[in-house]
Amino acid sequence: MNNPNIKSNDYSQTLYKKISYFLTIIVTEVIIFYMFINFLSSEGIDYRLFLFILPIIAFFVIRGNQKITNLVKESYSQCNSFSIIFMILLLVFIPFLFKDNTYLLHICIMSGLYLIIALGLNIQLGSTGMVNFAFAAFFGVGAYVSALLTINSHFSFWLGILAAIIISALFGLLIGSLTLKSTGFYYALVTMAFQIIFHLLVNNLRFTGGSGGISNIPFPTIGKHSFGSSLNIFGINLPFQANYYYLVLAVVLFSLYLAKRLYNSRTGLVWNAIREDEVAAKCQGINVNKGKLEASAIGAIFGGMAGSIYAHYISFISPESFTFHLSVVLICIVILGGLDNILGVIIGAVLLTVIPEKIRFFAEARMLFYGIIIIAVLIFKPQGLIPERIRKYNFLNFKKDNI
Amino acid sequence: MLKINGITTRYGTVEILRDVSLNINEGEIVALLGANGAGKTTILNTIIGLIRPIHGNIFFENKRIEKMKTSEIIKAGISMVMENRGIFPDLNILENLRIGSLYEKDEKSINKTLKEVYDLFPILKERENQLAGTLSGGEQGMLSIGRGMMSKPKIMLLDEPSLGLAPMLVDGVFEAIKRINNEGTTMLLVEQNAVKALKIASRGYVLQKGQIITEGTVKELKENEVIKKAYLTI
Repeated sequence: MNNPNIKSNDYSQTLYKKISYFLTIIVTEVIIFYMFINFLSSEGIDYRLFLFILPIIAFFVIRGNQKITNLVKESYSQCNSFSIIFMILLLVFIPFLFKDNTYLLHICIMSGLYLIIALGLNIQLGSTGMVNFAFAAFFGVGAYVSALLTINSHFSFWLGILAAIIISALFGLLIGSLTLKSTGFYYALVTMAFQIIFHLLVNNLRFTGGSGGISNIPFPTIGKHSFGSSLNIFGINLPFQANYYYLVLAVVLFSLYLAKRLYNSRTGLVWNAIREDEVAAKCQGINVNKGKLEASAIGAIFGGMAGSIYAHYISFISPESFTFHLSVVLICIVILGGLDNILGVIIGAVLLTVIPEKIRFFAEARMLFYGIIIIAVLIFKPQGLIPERIRKYNFLNFKKDNI
Repeated sequence: MLKINGITTRYGTVEILRDVSLNINEGEIVALLGANGAGKTTILNTIIGLIRPIHGNIFFENKRIEKMKTSEIIKAGISMVMENRGIFPDLNILENLRIGSLYEKDEKSINKTLKEVYDLFPILKERENQLAGTLSGGEQGMLSIGRGMMSKPKIMLLDEPSLGLAPMLVDGVFEAIKRINNEGTTMLLVEQNAVKALKIASRGYVLQKGQIITEGTVKELKENEVIKKAYLTI
């Protein structure tokens, strides 16, 4: 006669569990979001920086508590889609929070753009082990292609970004095919050469506007709405940057989805095998050349996409935006965040874009401090901030109990 | 099944193999013996397509393969267990095994082969999520052989699978090879450990300085005085 009670107990148990998962996710993501907002809007060393650091300290303290860490881990793995949707919801609010501070919106947009490029670099550097120093050039190819296509014609940004994707893929294939036989160190050197050649070319060709670059790149338009004008949602007037923020957010989400799918696929596994041991990979039947070319083309596409958006956001591009220095920063983002780890790349991109803005008060010593931060992280966490990666075996369809 | 005819292979100007001919029939375990530097690994690398021979040809099931790409040769049904394991260190055991069967489309079939590998090497199942680079030498050897099984090959080429293993583990490896062979996979076993290799093989070749100096059934080899002195006294 206890049966009905036991059934409803089970039901309320699982309901209770589900609710606790949702609450955990909501609480943790709101805290992270709050931290990010404070970090971003802090000016110098003020209370907001403190509000950013406090949860980090709390994290290290709570980390020891098994119950809480298990709860958090379970929540995110059991309710994965909810955690993503909720985070997207929070991110959608940012232009509303910063509608009077377009500078902060600008930083968010730039972090998003660098994140997109870094995801492409992660495919080559993290997954396939190709140390490519030419990613600022892929960024530049996307920007210049999109700009040149749209500047004096009636072609729109949407065609521009499509062209940027195609041309940067070809550019990636070009570098990839020329470096098939180059290994490790030599591959890095060849890509450095390409990067520098790209910079020299756009700097000296009249076709690309020379050192003066290209200006008056048109705004993207959707119907009658131009991205250059303010965005009105629910009666609230958001600055024009909000247009680009949402565009970048959409492309970032698309890029993350693409990167994750690739990582979990056969292609991702093939890339890892090539990184680990090319000869052994060959002996498993892997066509190493094909894999490298795929990584080269697909990685470059991310850079091209970001470049096109960048060109139509800033409305002006010059060779100085696409230098070897940027390539190095991108490599730092991927290495710092954690090679072959998408969450790590997100954190790396955000940190390495926001930190230089935050330490502006150091003036000339800014770059020095920046370098010190990078070195410090690499000393304490040589594998990057989030080194561990967990591959979801969706494509394997392994049901553990069958084996 | 696998016919190697008059292979001559060079690394630059150095001739490693001279006019080497081997014949492996279906279902056999054939041992390829010889000292270090005799050219045993080079023969396997030539079969698998990592090196092209200067002269000679190789037939696998009536297909000429000596000029084919390695990826094609593997897909034709030849699998290679490399010297020094060749496992992927930063990937875990499951991922390493999965790479062994990249071209199999049927998930159920992969599951089935995986179960066979785990039956043969239970410790791989235990340590499924462990990074391959952190495994011991013996476990890496098992992983390497298991990975070779995953493509359900018609013939497996094994390059010194007992290399560097403790004597107790060596027996386990040879036992596993025998069991795989019993399920129907032909084996070409390259070994320095002649005694153990001849225990499970049916025929053998002896390679010295790039040339085959003797061949025969295991019985014939064991009775050969020269071979006995040079390779079987340990």
